Amino acid sequence: MKTKRLLARLAGFLSADQTAQREELKSIRKVLKKLKAKERDLNARLEQTPPGDEYEEIAQKLQVIYAQRRKGVERVRALKGRTPQDPLPEDQPPP
Amino acid sequence: MIKRLRHAPLPLLILLLSYGFWVSPDFKEIAAGVALFLFGMLSLEKGFKAFTGGTLEQVLRASTNRLWKSIAFGITSTTLMQSSTLVSLVTISFVSAEMITLAAGIGVIMGANLGTTTGAWLIAGLGLRVDIAGYAMPALVVGVILLLQRSKILQGIGYVVLGVGFLFLGIHYMKEGFEAFQGAFDLSGYVIPGILGVLLYTGIGMLITVIMQSSHATLLVIITALATGQISYDSALALAIGANLGSAVTTAIGGMTANLGGKRLAIAHVLFNVMTATVAIAFIGQMAWAVDYLGALIGLAGDEYLLKLALFHTLFNLLGVILLAPFTGVLERALIRYVNPAPKSREKPLYLYPGALETPATAISALRKEVGHLYDNAHDLIAHGVSLRRSVIDSEQSLAEAVKNTRRIIPLDVDDLYEARIKSLHSDIVAFISEIQGRELSQQSVEQLYALQQASRDIVEAVKATKHLQKNLSRHGLSGNPLIRERYDTIRLQIAKVLREIRQLRSQDPETVTRLSLDALKLSVEKSGRSFTTDLNALIRSRHLSSSIATSMMNDENYAFEICANLIEASHALLLPPTRAEQSAEGQLALDEQDIARMAGGNSHPRTRTHTDENEKTAG
Repeated sequence: MKTKRLLARLAGFLSADQTAQREELKSIRKVLKKLKAKERDLNARLEQTPPGDEYEEIAQKLQVIYAQRRKGVERVRALKGRTPQDPLPEDQPPP
Repeated sequence: MIKRLRHAPLPLLILLLSYGFWVSPDFKEIAAGVALFLFGMLSLEKGFKAFTGGTLEQVLRASTNRLWKSIAFGITSTTLMQSSTLVSLVTISFVSAEMITLAAGIGVIMGANLGTTTGAWLIAGLGLRVDIAGYAMPALVVGVILLLQRSKILQGIGYVVLGVGFLFLGIHYMKEGFEAFQGAFDLSGYVIPGILGVLLYTGIGMLITVIMQSSHATLLVIITALATGQISYDSALALAIGANLGSAVTTAIGGMTANLGGKRLAIAHVLFNVMTATVAIAFIGQMAWAVDYLGALIGLAGDEYLLKLALFHTLFNLLGVILLAPFTGVLERALIRYVNPAPKSREKPLYLYPGALETPATAISALRKEVGHLYDNAHDLIAHGVSLRRSVIDSEQSLAEAVKNTRRIIPLDVDDLYEARIKSLHSDIVAFISEIQGRELSQQSVEQLYALQQASRDIVEAVKATKHLQKNLSRHGLSGNPLIRERYDTIRLQIAKVLREIRQLRSQDPETVTRLSLDALKLSVEKSGRSFTTDLNALIRSRHLSSSIATSMMNDENYAFEICANLIEASHALLLPPTRAEQSAEGQLALDEQDIARMAGGNSHPRTRTHTDENEKTAG
């Protein structure tokens, strides 16, 4: 019985689906990392920018990144089999 | 000739010129005169381009929008300036800078031919002669002072004044150089009866005018020869016809430096003068009779040859205008049809070479770079299309300020540029893709090929939309009405922002950049479009804008949307991440059209791209 379970686990681990899911998870995390870096960049720029057109533009970009990251985090949770939560961890929505 | 010179090896040309300078000081002066003259033409054209889209253009357009107006414009300006050559050359500059149409230019040239006859009346009647060459030096000084000013308008005027100065100075040097040959004009030596004599004297009259660079000066020579009995009255008439033909030669030289429009006008001038001369030669007997008859009517004595010559000059130019004015439209269409640009060196692909077809990976990599090259060409063209320099887009300078401070619309032949720099490259890309598709490819490669082909097509669509937008932009972009100007500024600013943002994304490290950044651009374009429409509707409601101009603006905003959306789509393919997994990850995080529409303003109806040609019919 034990061997049978172990074999089943191994089969599952080696299955194409799971490999693809791991690959997907990795890629999404990579993209999320890029987005996070960009968000930090934009937040720093926002602090230096006086209110006006440029400020609005940066804020808009932050909104878009927030929405994209939200989609990404939800997908990561779905892949890990967790239920989605609100809001994004460690984050506040942009201005 | 000029074309051959352009293709001749430069060292050979310099060698020939050096030999000429060494052998003959007169040749040196003539060559310097021609050089100054051509430089004057370039200066003049550059100067007038500064006014494109401004008040001068509006005034010119209003003064030349009907044939009779253009002819009247030509007559008045030539009478005031006493130089049909100058008026013709300036008109060539106007047509070159697309400030007036070719048909209007032909009208002005006809008027100038008629206006120049007032010079004959002034010389004959009052003994007056305006020496325009005397204005060269002051014009040069004033021109340079104006060039040193900061204002673009003053600099433009500076170029015009400097151009006039150089034209006169060039004519002066040509005259000086040819003076050595003037003694050869012993007109009594060529007395031949009949039509041969008429043709010979016409040729001599033309030659004298080309050499002296002034039909007025030729008229003086004719009058002197007539008074001293060197030539008969009939020969004097033939000489006057030749003088008219000779003045077209100067214009033809000026037309060589002009662009296609200017060249067409120069050809029209030569054609007009040749046709007028042909008719006058064919009916010279009848014309002489008409001069005698009309001369008697206005009280001219039979031996007042001076005034009779002036009358003849006026009559045969008037005859030319009457005969040819009804065919101006036909002439314009024929010139546009038959005088076409010499096939320009089409843009060559930089990365597509047979060796790149070795493997799918090298082929796709080469293709991506080539589509990038096509994008760069389109970037430059679109930047100029919205009257902004590439350097402005590529800099950190505020785009809003640059748009607001635009003083002139950059004249642009989008059709020409499209043929030379976009279409040819797009064709090469399509041909290369067909080549690759003939080989065995993975599913991923097929998808990448499709994406790149689509990107190339998107770029072409963006340029086509620019063509339509640029047309209205040059008309209304710098409108005196601030409400119109502000709306067009908004359109230009949006395109400039997209160009700058994509340029920045493409220049970033591929490891850190993500196509997801394009979503923010999409949102910006969507929001800008919505606010533009709301704003425009409010202006129509409050009757601040007529619905006809507002419709044009809506069409133009649509073109702007097409440009932005197509550029964003094209850059999607250019910013493709290296692995398929990352592409798929980006795809999952990207905002879809509904998301963007919702973020832009509440409802979730996205705006979609349409094919440019469908818009063509409705363009305002």
